[in-house]
Order: sequence, then structure tokens, then C-alpha cells
Amino acid sequence: MTLRVLPACLLAAALCSALAVVYSSHVVRELYSKQQSVEYQQWALQEDYSRLLLEHSTLASPHRIISIAQDDLAMQPPQLSVHRLVQFQGGQQR
Amino acid sequence: MNRSRVGVSKPALWRLVFVAFCLFVLSGLLISRLVVLQVIDRDRGVGFLQQQGALRSVRTAEIPAYRGLVTDRRGQPLAVSTPVVSIWANPQQLLDSADVVQLATTMGQTPEALAERINLYSDKQFMYLARHQTPDQARAILDLGVPGVRGEREYRRFYPAGEVVSQLVGLTNVDGEGIAGVELAYNEWLRGQTGKKRYLKDLHGDAIRNIGVIEQARSGKSLALSIDLRLQYLQHRVLQRAMVETGAAAGAAVTLDARTGEILAMTNHPVFNPNSREGFDYAATRNRVVTDVFEPGSTMKPLTLVAALESGEYTIESLIDTSPGRVRVGRKVLPDPRNYGEISVSRVIEKSSQVGVTKMAQQMGHEPILEVFQRFGLGEPSSIGFPGERSGVLPNRQRWSDIEKVTLAFGYGLTATPLQLAHAYAVFANEGSQVPLTLLKRNEGESLPIRQVISPEIAGQVLEVLNRVTGSEGTAQKARVDGFRVGGKTGTVHKVGDAGYLDDKYVALFVGVAPIENPRFVTAVVVDQPKGDNYGGGAAAAPIYSAITDGVLRLHNARPAESHEARQLVGLGGGA
Repeated sequence: MTLRVLPACLLAAALCSALAVVYSSHVVRELYSKQQSVEYQQWALQEDYSRLLLEHSTLASPHRIISIAQDDLAMQPPQLSVHRLVQFQGGQQR
Repeated sequence: MNRSRVGVSKPALWRLVFVAFCLFVLSGLLISRLVVLQVIDRDRGVGFLQQQGALRSVRTAEIPAYRGLVTDRRGQPLAVSTPVVSIWANPQQLLDSADVVQLATTMGQTPEALAERINLYSDKQFMYLARHQTPDQARAILDLGVPGVRGEREYRRFYPAGEVVSQLVGLTNVDGEGIAGVELAYNEWLRGQTGKKRYLKDLHGDAIRNIGVIEQARSGKSLALSIDLRLQYLQHRVLQRAMVETGAAAGAAVTLDARTGEILAMTNHPVFNPNSREGFDYAATRNRVVTDVFEPGSTMKPLTLVAALESGEYTIESLIDTSPGRVRVGRKVLPDPRNYGEISVSRVIEKSSQVGVTKMAQQMGHEPILEVFQRFGLGEPSSIGFPGERSGVLPNRQRWSDIEKVTLAFGYGLTATPLQLAHAYAVFANEGSQVPLTLLKRNEGESLPIRQVISPEIAGQVLEVLNRVTGSEGTAQKARVDGFRVGGKTGTVHKVGDAGYLDDKYVALFVGVAPIENPRFVTAVVVDQPKGDNYGGGAAAAPIYSAITDGVLRLHNARPAESHEARQLVGLGGGA
């Protein structure tokens, strides 16, 4: 009895393992392509992020702010004579 | 066939058995050899074969790591890594290719120039066509699909604040390693760990399958400096403008927060553009605030005053007779600009009287003065660990001549960096104690290793004298800031040449503390070789201090001293 069942079992196991190999390599390929696209996405996002960071710091650069304030908006630092000191009463104001 | 069915003759059967046996032995030999190669002999067999196979098809590629961001204390980026693509090629595949013309046009070169470059590498397998292209540029080149041309992802460092923080932040080389400034000092922290991955390539060198990541790339950590970019920009602008006005060769300025030891701004002249290596000037990369030493001159007089007050023999109102306006020490005569007569110790500092300080130094001897200098941290490197930082030198000699004993009291014979000067003055601004300097932003509520250098009372008295220096009788009236009480000390030092001190070349200095009621900000300004008649510390350096401090106080919402009228009274009081 065992002599007849054992080869059949082994054959079935070998078949299963072969199919599992096929399946797992398929999964690997799928995951790999997914990883590739995610990696690419990461790269693209990083590209965007650093570009935005640079754009932001260019727009917010003190040089630009000063030239806009002085030249376009004709602003100037307040004179001492128009300073008003406001006293807070120990935080009761808030 | 027919014959065999009829019956095999005896010799024929023997031959058949012999051949079968031979074939069996041969195949046995082959199988055993296979077993030896594949299973038994690992070194020269299976290992060797696998290695040879891998050499032909498996490649390892680096995964670039993202270098950490450098920001100022408010999160403004100072150094950013941006993704770029380096285009490389196998010159063998390009040598006689017709695509070179198209490639050159896309890259913005002439086909001849490109062909010439390819010829240079005609015996190589690898050459860079263009490094650090923006992703868009690279895409245009790679989309041509020229065989043998490939792109490689890399990061390039970009400095949004440009020349404003150039010497401080420093530089990285083309491979992304820090080579100067903060980039070098904190390289280990900023740089990530490059990863590795393995892939299979085909005959043409194209990747066909990734085998796996051997090592994950780890991003570098970001770094928040103690610098305030707004202040840094302001200081930069003031310094550059002053350099043009005074015609000076070089200049440096540094602002500290005396309470926390944080360096708020640090600028130099000349400057360089860290985003372009064209016309690169190595001298301009020097962060003079920490790398250049000079004799501090009269800016040391407040420290001499500390020694005098600590000796108990003087108060700031003690009288010293400075007539006839000069004093002889050994063979040298030290003059004052005019005869001040009998004046108080405070006035000696206000007027920066050489005679007055000399008399005090002769009374005290040089030892207590030297000891005070040491206590204030002169002659020792600061704790910021900046590459190329120098510590200056305090004299340490066996025998002191009479003249050496007194020149020490007014700041000759020792050297210091602008940063050390500012750090020394921070003692006056912090009730007599000193906090270690840092270039990194401190956390709120961080416990600081405070060192008490002098008593709070003496610090207060010196602060009062420093304030009078900017008063109507002082040498630094140009250091005043509208609406605030500030204090400081000028210095004008002869530069040293081949034959001793030069008569016509000076270093102008100013170190100041503000605001006097609530002292916190210390700024040191150094102007190297100002031209023309306004070469003194009061004329060349004090206005720079005033403009910088005005901005510092405004940005920190400091409370103005008194109303305009009251401020004028203070000015009069300071003169009395």
C-alpha cells in the first residue's frame, strides 16, 4: 500500500512545488514592476519637492521681499517718532 | 536488421557488449565530473563557475542616497539636494555612430566637439557625456534612444541663499561629499548611506531584471543651524555696502545671542557664488570670522578694565592723571591724541586713552590681565568645530619686557578671531557668565553648561562703561542705534608686515552689546584695510555695527529704551 501511495504523493508534491515556483516568480515580477513604478514615483515626487522648495525660497528670499517692499510698495521702516509702546497687564489681556 | 533477428553470432554479441560498456563508462566519467564540478569541489568547481557566470551577466548598481537638508533656525532651506541625471555612454557604441550629430544637437554642443571627446575615450567602456542634467534636459537626451547612452540618477547640491551664507554653509564636491564649511563639519550627519542593488544585464549592457536590493539607501538627516537667514541677509547687505564705501580689502561680522551661545549670523567679504564654479575664488571661501586671527587692539581694554575692577584698586570713577598726554615705557613713547588731564577710569575707556590704560597696567602688572584674557576664552578654540577654525594665541613667555607688559593691556601681542572677540563680550551681556557657542539651533528649555567668568556686578559696571563709549564723549558715536541704548568698544590696529607694524595699513574693529537694559545680542565687526582717512574702528567699523544692530533689535522686537527726549538726556548723562 505505502509503496504505491508514496510515489503518488511525491509526484503531487513535486507538481505543487513546480506550480508554486511559477506562481511565486509571477508575484515577484509583479511586485518588482510595482516597486519600480513606486520608486519612479518617489523620484518624481522628490524632484517636485526640491523644485518647489527652491521656488519657495526664491520667492521668499529677503532680497526679493525688500525690493518689493521698497520699490513696488514704497514702504519704509517706521520712524522712531511713530513708535507706540503698549503695556500688557500681566497677561490679563488674553 | 534481418540478420539480427535470425541470430547474432558470438563475436558480434561480444562487440555489442564491449561498446555498451565503453559508452557506459564514458557517460559515468562525464557524470562523475559533473558531480565534482557542481557539488563536491566548491572552490574550483561550482563557486568558480557561478562567479564566472555572474561576471558576465550580474551587475551591481549604487542607489544614490538623499543628502540631508541644511536649514536656518526658522526652517528656510540653505542647502538642498535636487535629483539630477548624469548621462553616460559606452564610447565603443558611439565611435562610428550616425546618432552623434543628433545627440550633440540635443546636448547643445557641436557634433565635432562631441566626436572629439568620444575619440578621447575610444579605448574605454565608459564616459560621462554630461553630468548633473536637470531631469527635463536628461529626458530629452535619453528619449533619442541612442544605443549605448544611458542615464544615472544622482543628486546635486543647490544653495538657495547663494553668496549670503556661502562661507558658512560651505560646499560639496561633485560626488556629494562635503568639502568645506558646515557641509564638511557635519558631513557624517548630512550624508546618507548609499544603497546597492544587483541586476541582470543583457549583451548590450541594458538591465533586464533586478535581482534584489543588497543594501537599502538611507537618506541623510537634516540640520537646523542657529543662523537666522533674515539677519544673515541684513548683515551681508550692510557689510557688502560698507566694503564698497570704505574700499576695504576684506571684512567679517558675527552676531551672537549671548544667552544661548547661538550664532545668529556670520558674514564675510569677499563672497563667492556656491552655485557656480566659474571664476571660483578660493580666498573667498574662507570664513574669516573663524579662520582669520589678528591683534584685537583696543577692543581688549574692557577686559583690562575687568582686571582693574577685580583688583579692588579701581572703581569706574577712580581718577587717573593722563597728563601730559603721553607716557614713556622703556624706549617707546605712547601718546594720546591730546592731553586729557585727570580723568576717570570710565573716561579712559570711553576715550580709549593709551596713557590711562598704560598707567593702570603698570600699577597692576600683566599677570592679572593675562589671567582675565584666559578666563574669557581667548587663546582657546570655540566649541563649534568649524573646519579651519583657529584659536588665536595668548603670549606665554618667560620674561616680559616693560613694553610687552603694557601693550598686552591694550590688545597687542595676542591674537584672536572675530568669533572669540564676540564670545568674550558675551560675558558682559550675560551677567558675567559664558555659554559655549554653537552653530546649531538649541532646543527650547535645553540646559546650558553656563560658566561664571566674572561677577554680575562687574559685568554690569563694564556694560555701563561700554554704553558711555557710544555717548557724546566716546569714540563710538557712530555705533549708536536710534531708540536703543547700546554699548561697545572700538579698536584700530596696525597691520603687521614684513618689517613689523605697518604705518598705513589698519584693521578697524568694533565689538558691541545691545540693548543695555536687557543685554542679549553681541556683534563683532572687523574691517581689514579700510582706505582713506576713515580707517579707525569708530569710523569704519562702528557704522556697520549700528546698521546690523538696528536690524537685530527690530527683528527681535526689542523694547526701545526711552522716548526721544529721554534718550538725549541719557546721551548727556553718559558724557558726564
